[in-house]
Amino acid sequence: MKKNWNDLPESEFRENVRQFILEYCPPNLRFPKRRLRWKEVKDWYFTLASAGLLAPTWPITFGGMGLSPSKTLAYLETMEVNGAPRLPDQGIINLGPLLIKHGNDEQRRRYLPRILSGEHIWCQGYSEPNAGSDLASLKTSAVLDGDDYVVNGQKIWTTWAHDATHMFALVRTDTSVTKQAGLSFLLIHLNQPGINVRPIETITGHPEFCEVFFDNARSHRSNLVGEVNGGWKIAKALLGFERIWAGSPRQAVSILAQLEHFARRSEKLEDASWRDRLVQLRLDVADLEALYGNFAETVRRGETLGPDVSILKLWATETCQRMCELMVDICCEIAPIQADVSRSSGVLPNDSSPIDAMTPFLDSRSFTIYGGSSEIQRNIVSKQVLGLPS
Amino acid sequence: MLRASGADFVARFSDMRRVRSMRRQLPGYDPEIQRKMIDSGWFGLLVPEAFGGFGGSFADMAGLVEELGRGLVAEPLVASAVLVARTLAHCSESELTREQLAYLIRGDTALALAWQGPAGGLAFTEANVIAQMRNGAVVLDGAAYLVAGAGCAAAFIVFAQSDKGRGIYLVEKNQPGLAVTHEWRVDGTPMTSLALTAVELPSNCRLACGEQVTLALSRAVDETLVIVAAELLGVMTAAFELTLGYLRTRVQFGKPIGSFQALQHRMVDQYVQLRLASASIDDAVQVLDTHPSIEGDIRQRQLAASRVKARCSDAALKITREAIQLHGAMGFTDECDAGLYLKRALALSAWLGNASQHKRRYAALSYDLSVPGMGPCEATNRAALP
Repeated sequence: MKKNWNDLPESEFRENVRQFILEYCPPNLRFPKRRLRWKEVKDWYFTLASAGLLAPTWPITFGGMGLSPSKTLAYLETMEVNGAPRLPDQGIINLGPLLIKHGNDEQRRRYLPRILSGEHIWCQGYSEPNAGSDLASLKTSAVLDGDDYVVNGQKIWTTWAHDATHMFALVRTDTSVTKQAGLSFLLIHLNQPGINVRPIETITGHPEFCEVFFDNARSHRSNLVGEVNGGWKIAKALLGFERIWAGSPRQAVSILAQLEHFARRSEKLEDASWRDRLVQLRLDVADLEALYGNFAETVRRGETLGPDVSILKLWATETCQRMCELMVDICCEIAPIQADVSRSSGVLPNDSSPIDAMTPFLDSRSFTIYGGSSEIQRNIVSKQVLGLPS
Repeated sequence: MLRASGADFVARFSDMRRVRSMRRQLPGYDPEIQRKMIDSGWFGLLVPEAFGGFGGSFADMAGLVEELGRGLVAEPLVASAVLVARTLAHCSESELTREQLAYLIRGDTALALAWQGPAGGLAFTEANVIAQMRNGAVVLDGAAYLVAGAGCAAAFIVFAQSDKGRGIYLVEKNQPGLAVTHEWRVDGTPMTSLALTAVELPSNCRLACGEQVTLALSRAVDETLVIVAAELLGVMTAAFELTLGYLRTRVQFGKPIGSFQALQHRMVDQYVQLRLASASIDDAVQVLDTHPSIEGDIRQRQLAASRVKARCSDAALKITREAIQLHGAMGFTDECDAGLYLKRALALSAWLGNASQHKRRYAALSYDLSVPGMGPCEATNRAALP
C-alpha cells in the first residue's frame, strides 16, 4: 500500500488513515484506559508496519512515510482521535529520526529495519535519581575498555523499559568537564547480565516506568552516535516536534468529554455552581484548541517553533488536571472507588460502565511533571520569551 | 495595515497625560481627536459600502481597536462605529436609517444607542421604553441605562416596545421630556441614563420596527463584544509590558526583582492568558467575518462572543490587578500608570456583560438546559480538528 502521502490533500489523508484504523485496529484495543503492553499491541504494530504506516516522519527511502510536519500532525491527531492505542514508539519517534540525521550508515543499517520490524523495542535512558530537571548533571558513566564502553550507573523513570530490548542513553564519557560538555549518546542492548530492569509501581496502580541498573554493562564503541562528548546537542535536536505534541488538545478534549459525561450521569448540570466550574473548563479547552491551532499553523508553514510553545504544554496539562479534579469533585462520595486498571476495556467515552474518577485523576498528576515540568516550562518562558533576568 | 494606523494614531495624538486630563469631565473625550478618527474613515469601517462605508472586516477593526486599547484612548469609537453603526446597518431598510448612517460616518451627528434596563443584561426581548401612537405622533415613556459613548451625544437611538413590536427611534437630545444624566465610571468615562416622559416625536422618527430590530440589536451587541474583547487585549498587553519593564529595572536585595522565580512564574501565567485571549479573538472575528448575516447560526455567534468576552475580561482583570501588585506601593498611586489600565479593564470587562454573565450564557447555549433529558454533548466549538 505504498502511496505518496504528501501529495494527498489533508482531509483525504486523514480519511485514509481513519479508514485504516476502523478496518484494521482491533476494537478492543481502541480507546484504551491505560498504555498497552507490547504483547497486547504487537499485532497492531506489525499491521501498521506491513502497510507502511508505522513511521510517519522517516524518509521513504528508510521505510517511512516521509510526511511533512503538517501531515505528521494530521497523522498523529487522526490516530489519537480514533482511539488507536499508543505503541512503544521511542524507536519510531525519537531514535529513528535521530539515527537518520546524526547516525552513520552502519548504525542506520543495523537498527532502522529492526525498529520497523519490531525486533528491537527501544526505551529512552535520560533521567537519573539525581538528575531530573537538572538532567545535564547526570552521572551514569561509559568508559572505553578495548572496543567496548563499560557502563555503570542508574537510570530512572525509563518508560516501558520492561518491554524494551534496547535503550538509547545519555552517558558521561568525560568526567573532567562539567554538565553537558562530557555527555555522549550511546545505544545499549538491555539483555545482558550487567543490566537489571526493575519496574516502578506508580500511584495509578500500574507500572509505567522502570529503574535500570548498569553494573559493568557493555556496549560496542560503534554504538556511540555522533561525536564523543557531543551527546547533549543530539539529544536536544529532536525536541521541536515533541513540544507541540505535548501541548496537543486531543487529550484535553477527550477528558472534557468524560467530565461532561460524568456531569450528566450524576445530574450535576442542573446545579449552577457545578455548571459554572464546568463551563470555565469548557472555555479553557476551546481556547487551548485555538492556541494549538496557532502553533500548528506555524508548523504547517514550515517555520520553526519558538520557545513560546512551552505555554501550550503548560495550559494543556494544567487544564487536564483541573478537569480531573472536577471529575473527582463531581463524583462526591463515590469518587474514591477505582476501577480495575489491569483490564483494558476498549471503551468509548460515552459508555455506561462504572464511573472511575480516580484513574484519570491520578494519571493526570504526571502530566505537569514529565517532558519538562511546569516549573521548568515557566522558567523557559520567563527567560527565553519574556527576557526576564537570571 | 489598520493596526499600524492605530499604533501611529496613539503615538501622535494620545499619551497618558491626555488620558488623565480628560477623566471625569464631559464629554470624557476630545471631539477634535475624534474628528481625526472620523477623517481616517474609522467610523465607517464596519459600514457596508452600499451605505457609504468602507466595508471592512472585523479582523481589521479588532486590530485597530487593540492598538487604541493599548493607548487607553477614550474616544468612543467602539460605541459609535460598532454598536450604533452595526445596529443601523442591520436595520437599513428605511431612508432615515441610511441617512443617519451617513451622518455617523461623516461625524455630522454624535449618536448613542440606548437600550438596557437599570441592571444591564442581554435581554433583547425586553424594552424599558414604551412607544404609543397619540394623535399621529409617537410618544415615548420609560428609561434607558448604561448608555456608552454619550458624553456629547446629539441624538439617541432608543429601543422601545410598541403594540406593533419592538422598534428603534431617533430622539434628539433637546427633545422636550428627555432627561439625560451622566455618571462616572471608575476610569473617568461617562455612563449615561435617559429618562423619557411623554417624549413626542413625529412618526417618521421610527428607524425600524419588528422582529428584525431584535435580531439586529442582538447581532450588533455580539459584534461589539468581540471588538471590546480586542480593546481589552490592548489594555492588558500594555499593562503586561509595563510590569515586565518594571521587573527588569527595579532593584531590591541587590538584584532586579524580575530575577525572582516566584515573580517570573506569575508573569508566565499572565502571558499564557494573554495568548489565550488573542487566540480566542482570532476565532471570534473569524466567526463574524465568515457568517455575516443577522439570522444565520445565531448560537455559534453568541457562543463565540461570550467565550471571547469572558476570556478577555478575566485575563485583563488578572493582568491589571497583578500590575498593581508587582509595582508594589508605587502601583497603588494614581501617578503610576498601572492604575489607569486596571480602571479601564474594570470598565470594559463589565460593559455588555462581564465574564460571569457570559459564562452563564455560554453554559446555557452549550448544555441546552431547556430541553428535558438534555441535548447532545458537544465538547468544543472548533470544527477544524477532526
